Amino acid sequence: MEARDQAKRPITRLAGPYGHPLHPALVVVPIGAWVASLVFDVASHLARSPGFLVEGSRWLIGIGVVGALVAAMIGFLDLLAIPTGTRAFRVALLHMSLNLAATATYAVSVAIREAPLDRPVAIGPLILSAAALAMVGVAGILGGQLVFRYGVRVADEFTQAEGYHTTTAKENA
Amino acid sequence: MATAALVTWLLTATAGFIMLGQWVSRGGHRPGSGSRLSPGLVFSHFPLAAIGLVLWIIYVIQPSDTLAWIAFVVLLPVALLGFTMFARWLPTVRAGTGTPESRFPIAIVIGHGLLAATTLVLVLLTALSA
Repeated sequence: MEARDQAKRPITRLAGPYGHPLHPALVVVPIGAWVASLVFDVASHLARSPGFLVEGSRWLIGIGVVGALVAAMIGFLDLLAIPTGTRAFRVALLHMSLNLAATATYAVSVAIREAPLDRPVAIGPLILSAAALAMVGVAGILGGQLVFRYGVRVADEFTQAEGYHTTTAKENA
Repeated sequence: MATAALVTWLLTATAGFIMLGQWVSRGGHRPGSGSRLSPGLVFSHFPLAAIGLVLWIIYVIQPSDTLAWIAFVVLLPVALLGFTMFARWLPTVRAGTGTPESRFPIAIVIGHGLLAATTLVLVLLTALSA
């Protein structure tokens, strides 16, 4: 099997069937939760009673961390589909490392948040969250490169062509 | 104790990732690879162990008696599948069969097993003392 074709095929159906990988679907959970948590952090400095925003942000970071670990589990299966020693594999390793570092940074950000809920989120954890989100952003660009440039877990062109077959009036009849 | 279990669990997972990576890179997951570890075994052990680890991380963040016991119960089939794979792996090392798993570093296999057993005991002790 050609190296490029190997990266298109799942190593197990757990990672989603051919042409329909699970990892990109799962990553929306941590991305959404973490973006919302940063919005909550900033909003806690603007709202008159910030308690619900401070607590909500903690929950969102927690949901994001758990979602990221589940997405990482499936993403790891896709990493193993890429032949080692290739540029695509190196990009995938960097993508994984950045996301794991971001997840760890979020864990630290939530751990150092103090108990009182009546004050806005402190600057320290807020900066940590912003830095972690930036890491997720860079990792996302690399993830996009893996899919849209190197075609990892994307169906081959023959399969793609099925979606562009136009049916004639005769075939419809 | 919960944190100690998290550390041993993470180390166990690292050793498991190394073996999974080697097994896949040598084509163990493909039909006709000659591997004595069936994909069904490997891909049941891996997600169950990973789900257990995620549950344990949630437990460390937000302790709950029920969650500790659920994590322990999830670990039981993981351990059973692990033992089954270990039993199927042993003869391949002795015979030097050249199957995808026969060249797993012995230290990684033994380390994975010992760390996994330690994790199971620590999780049980945490659940009992909760």
